[in-house]
Amino acid sequence: MPTAVEAVKPDFASIVGDSRVVSDPSVLATFAVDGRVPRFVIYAPTAEQVAETLKCAAMHNLAVIPCRNRTKLCTGNPPSRYDVALSTKEMNNVWHYEPADLTITAEAGMKFGDLQHFLARDRLWLPLDPPGGPKSSLGGILSSNASGPLRLLYGGPRDVVLGMKIATAEGKIVKTGGRVVKNVAGYDLGKLLIGSYGTLGVIVEASFKLFPQPAARATFVLPVGTLGIARDLRRSILDSPLQPARMVLLNDLASHFIWQDSSAREKAREPELWVEAHGSPRVIERTSKELEILGRAVGAPVHRLDESRADQGWSRISDFASYLHETQACGLVLKAALPLAASEEFLSRGQQEVEGCGARAATLAQVGLGIVHVAILHESGTDEITELAGRLRRAAVDLGGALVMERASVEIKSRMDAWGDPGESIEVMRKLKAVWDPKGILAPGRHVGGI
Amino acid sequence: MLYEYDGLSSQKQPDAVVLPTTTEHVIQVVKLAAREKIPIVPRGAGTGLSGGSVVTEGGIVLGFARMKKILEIDLENQRARIQPGVVNLDLSLAVADQGYYYAPDPSSQKACTIGGNVAENAGGPHTLAYGVTTNHVLGLEIVLPDGSVIRTGGKFWDRPGYDLTGLIVGSEGTLGVVTEATVRLLRKPEAVKTLLAVYDRVVDATRTVADITARGITPAALEMMDGFMLRAIEESTHAGYPMDAAAVLLLEVEGLREAAEDHADEVEAVCRENRARQVRRAKSSEERELLWKGRKNAFGAIGRVSPNFYVQDGVIPRTRLPEMLEFIGDVERRYSLRIANIFHAGDGNLHPLIMFDARDREEVARVLKAAKEIITQCVNMGGSITGEHGVGIEKNALMPLLFSEDDLDMMRSVKKVFNPLGTFNPGKLLPTQKICGELQVQVLRA
Repeated sequence: MPTAVEAVKPDFASIVGDSRVVSDPSVLATFAVDGRVPRFVIYAPTAEQVAETLKCAAMHNLAVIPCRNRTKLCTGNPPSRYDVALSTKEMNNVWHYEPADLTITAEAGMKFGDLQHFLARDRLWLPLDPPGGPKSSLGGILSSNASGPLRLLYGGPRDVVLGMKIATAEGKIVKTGGRVVKNVAGYDLGKLLIGSYGTLGVIVEASFKLFPQPAARATFVLPVGTLGIARDLRRSILDSPLQPARMVLLNDLASHFIWQDSSAREKAREPELWVEAHGSPRVIERTSKELEILGRAVGAPVHRLDESRADQGWSRISDFASYLHETQACGLVLKAALPLAASEEFLSRGQQEVEGCGARAATLAQVGLGIVHVAILHESGTDEITELAGRLRRAAVDLGGALVMERASVEIKSRMDAWGDPGESIEVMRKLKAVWDPKGILAPGRHVGGI
Repeated sequence: MLYEYDGLSSQKQPDAVVLPTTTEHVIQVVKLAAREKIPIVPRGAGTGLSGGSVVTEGGIVLGFARMKKILEIDLENQRARIQPGVVNLDLSLAVADQGYYYAPDPSSQKACTIGGNVAENAGGPHTLAYGVTTNHVLGLEIVLPDGSVIRTGGKFWDRPGYDLTGLIVGSEGTLGVVTEATVRLLRKPEAVKTLLAVYDRVVDATRTVADITARGITPAALEMMDGFMLRAIEESTHAGYPMDAAAVLLLEVEGLREAAEDHADEVEAVCRENRARQVRRAKSSEERELLWKGRKNAFGAIGRVSPNFYVQDGVIPRTRLPEMLEFIGDVERRYSLRIANIFHAGDGNLHPLIMFDARDREEVARVLKAAKEIITQCVNMGGSITGEHGVGIEKNALMPLLFSEDDLDMMRSVKKVFNPLGTFNPGKLLPTQKICGELQVQVLRA
């Protein structure tokens, strides 16, 4: 390790204390991002210490990647440099909680699962089901704009955040928004930070709008033999008075993996549409009846899942990429974002491309939202598989959307940009980056256009 | 002369008013203005309530009255692409036959434009359940002060990169001129139930609001009007409101037929527990429309009983409505003013209307002091200085009540990225001097 780097350690230690500046190689290795290992892991216990740490890093021109449980670090281009992993692990406080007002303000390091557990005592919840699941931190969910199928009914992170505090590379703490459910005072800087992947500042605290837990919920599964049937069913459900909370289309392989340890049903699976309804028992009953009518019209019988099976299925579905990574060692997951009616067409083209390449893909389509995840299982060479990813990106762009690599090997990332062409607004984004992070120390190179 | 005003005030006359019909026209005007360093003030219908579209230092008013084409309706994708001058209600009417609508519904929706809604991040009664403008805009075309054009977002969610759409919405025309917007269209609910709960004591109405929220019922709309407001409305609109009540709540629940029925029963029970003397359900769509007509014409109704009024837009945590109403009553007495109260109570967004006569300068001074006390109290309760009307020139000097110098400096730096010379809508949103100032309202009119 260069002496210069070792020499700055006391500067960080003077901010957070000796024990919170870690340079043990075995720890550092667990904070690697795309094969790059940081020189320190720093655990900042307060927002002020996050800001001070950033200021110190900027002074020494050290590159920082903010993180907590590292569930989202697989997304993005490899960092152009990486010296400090700045962890918010110790920042778990709830600063304000007003159950009667349905609002909460918590620190960014708090785990999503802990927050839900905390809220459950008042039968409240934050209706998100982000990739990374309960292990995700609030800061991680916001900085990666991580949403799951629940976005259909409740909106995504950008719709439930009321305000936040951000530690900047200049060592300041900037507030945006507030703690009330309606507020238009000042620029909505929070929107910029949501989905910025740690490149503009470190989110240290956020306020959220909460929701009462639904009185009842039920999951219905409809087998859909072809994409044509799936499309007809999606259209008829969206055109009906039903208000599904979640709706996803699994291809045969995805459905096989989601059900793989189920004794209740056969292992050989076919494509399925999963629909979840939230509401009173009467709403559930009505949804069941309507789905039966809509299903019958396309020859798809409706099967209602028991609660534990449904919970397990949804948890695998919302954390699809990690689930396939853990169970199938799947290392390439693409996310296409499309005009919603293009979902099935993209799936059809995608299937052809994947088969043409001799690979297999498990696909999960949030068909009410136009968000399609493609997990590719292959034994092909890197060049071939990168070309396949490129063809899938072109298909998404042709259909009026975009495609991001959510998880990919360094070899693939070195051949293909994780985000794709950012368009003409990239110049404005670069200028915004320069305002927030003048020295370019925050997750450098990770975001669009090499930001 | 007409382009000198909005719903709040007038400051200065513009040097010129230009009414473009295409983005290309806008680009040419902006380039010309850039060359001559002339301010540009974008304007929709001029219904704003914070002075966002009034001229502060001369320049060109860019009026969007003729850029009002609905460019595309794409129901299968639940989207519409529109020019900024499209009137809010016209978009909903254009898709009503197919069972869709555009959710944000400011009270001025018959006149206000979606371009103006985007600039102010406008709300409305039904934003309680469906969110404000920013939750419904997915993409924008923006002309920057140097005449360049950028497109942000689009028909799909999650375009890679920073969420510039989210930053521009609510930026009050200070970052760029919006020349096109892509918005969400929602499926109309199967059933709507509208209830009017009548109270003899204001505190019972405010407690009902707190109870409804605390019990986890989210109505589509939850509006409150006090007795003075009711009588003024009834005299002008004949909406069927009781003339002798202390307050009413106008509530709406919707969704699947079963959901609307269940929620209507729950809401009615909470109203009765809180001593509502009557809970009336609208029996027909005509009755429902009449109840809403009264609510949406409220400001006009006050105009009939007072030569001038000043409407506030504070926000508080909704459980604190009872004590806030007491506070407003106290302010009313201390400053010897009349204040009518009309609130988007469900989300804690207050619109107290302070009545006065602009010719009485001493009274105007009292109005401004009273208004500042009310806004300051909102902030002290953990709320905000504006929920949906925007900061504009009205409250920019009050921004330091909410934000530190560091917060404001970051906003200034972000503004410079888009609008380096400050020629787009100058004098709005950010404080012009680094002091905690006063409300800036020179002329208030009914």
